[in-house]
Amino acid sequence: MLFTWFMLTGLILLFAPQNLTNDLQFAFARIFRWPLTVGKNISLYARTSQPAPNATFDGKSQYENHIANLQEQLRLKQEEIIELRMMRVRFPFLENAGLITAAVIRSSINGTRSELTINRGENDGLAKGQFVLGDNSIIGTVSDISPRTTKVKLFTDPASRIAVRIGNLNIDRLMEGGGKDEAKIRYLPTKHKVRVGDKVLAGKKPGFLDASMIIGVVARCERDDRNPSMWDITVKPVCDIERLSSITVIIMNPQN
Amino acid sequence: MRWFRFAIFVSVVAVLMASGLLDIIALPPSSSKPNLLLILLVFFAIHSNTSNAIITSFAIGFAADISIGSIMGSLTISFGLFGTALAYLHRVIAIRKVPYQAFAIFITAFLTGTLAHFLAILRGQSTVSNVYSAILGTALYSAVVGPIFFLLVSWLMRIKTHRFGRH
Repeated sequence: MLFTWFMLTGLILLFAPQNLTNDLQFAFARIFRWPLTVGKNISLYARTSQPAPNATFDGKSQYENHIANLQEQLRLKQEEIIELRMMRVRFPFLENAGLITAAVIRSSINGTRSELTINRGENDGLAKGQFVLGDNSIIGTVSDISPRTTKVKLFTDPASRIAVRIGNLNIDRLMEGGGKDEAKIRYLPTKHKVRVGDKVLAGKKPGFLDASMIIGVVARCERDDRNPSMWDITVKPVCDIERLSSITVIIMNPQN
Repeated sequence: MRWFRFAIFVSVVAVLMASGLLDIIALPPSSSKPNLLLILLVFFAIHSNTSNAIITSFAIGFAADISIGSIMGSLTISFGLFGTALAYLHRVIAIRKVPYQAFAIFITAFLTGTLAHFLAILRGQSTVSNVYSAILGTALYSAVVGPIFFLLVSWLMRIKTHRFGRH
C-alpha cells in the first residue's frame, strides 16, 4: 500500500507541468544557496589549484570587518559596471539592451544535461528565451524561471536547439546540444566548405538577439555516417563554461 | 529508525552533490563521480525493515530529484522502485559482504540511471549517445566508494551493519 501511494506521488511529479515542479528545484537552490555557492567555489578553487591566501584578520574590530566587506562590495560593483560598459563598447548593438550580471549558484553539467542555476529571476526582468553570455560568447538561453532564480540551458544541453551560422557561410542551421561540452550541426551539404576552427555564430532572433554573436568553434567536421552528402559538425564552446562564476543575461527590450 | 537524523543526513548529501563539490574527485573521460544518494539508497534498503526501506527509497529519490535531477519524478520513481526491489531481495539473499554490497550498488546504479533516463525521454527530454557510458561510470565509481561510505553512514545513523558476521 505504502509503495503504491509513493509510486503514485512519483507519477504525479513526473507528469505534472514542469513549471510547477521546477519550483521545488528552485526552492532547494534558494534555501541552500549559501552552501551550494560555497561548495561550488571550493570545487573551482581546488580545480584551478590557486595558492592559499596568507591574509590574517586577527585583531580587527567588527567595524573594520564591516568596512572591508563594504569596500569589497563596492569593488565588485565597480568591476561589474566596468565589465558592462566594456561589453557595450565591444557589442554596439547591445547599447539599448539591458545587461544583467548574475552569479552561478549551481552548475549541472554531465552527459545527460547541461544547465546553470543563477541568482537572478523574474524580479530582475529575466524571461524565458533570453540569451546568456559567458566570457563574451553566447553560452545558452534562459529556460526556466522563478522570481529569484533562473535555470540557463546551455547550448550543449541535449534539449537545446539554437539557430546558428558557420563562419562566412550565409546559411542558418539548427545546432543541437550533444551532451557534455559539445553540440552538433547536421544537415549541412558537403558542398559547403567547413574547416576545423571556423567560428560558429548564434543567429539573430528578433526580440532576443539583434545581431549574431559567437557561440563556439568547429572542433570536428566529418561526413555524416547515415547521409554521406551531409556534414556532421561538432561544435565546442569558446569558453570554459564549467568554471564560469558569473554570467550576463541579455534583455534586448528592457521595460524600464 | 532515526528519522530526524535521516532527514538531516539526506539533505546534507543532496547539497553536497548539488554543489558540485564532488567534481574534485571526478574521473575522466566522462567526469564520472560517485552518486552518494544512490549509495544511501542501497544502504537503507539493506539495513532497514521493508516499510522503512520503501519510505527511505522514495525520500532519497525525491531528494535526488530536487538536487541533481532534471525531470522531477524520474529519480523518485526509479529510486523508489529499485530500492523497494532491493529491500525485498535482501529478505531472500542477505547482502552483507563488501563485494556483494559493491555489486548491489553497481546494479542498482545502472538500473536506476537507465530507468530515470527512459522516464526523462518519456517526458520529452532529449537524449545523447554517450548516456550509458555516463551511467556506467557513475555506477562503477559508486560501487567502489559505496562500501567505504557505508561505514560513515552506519556510524552516523547508529545502525549495526554486522559486516563480519555469518548470516
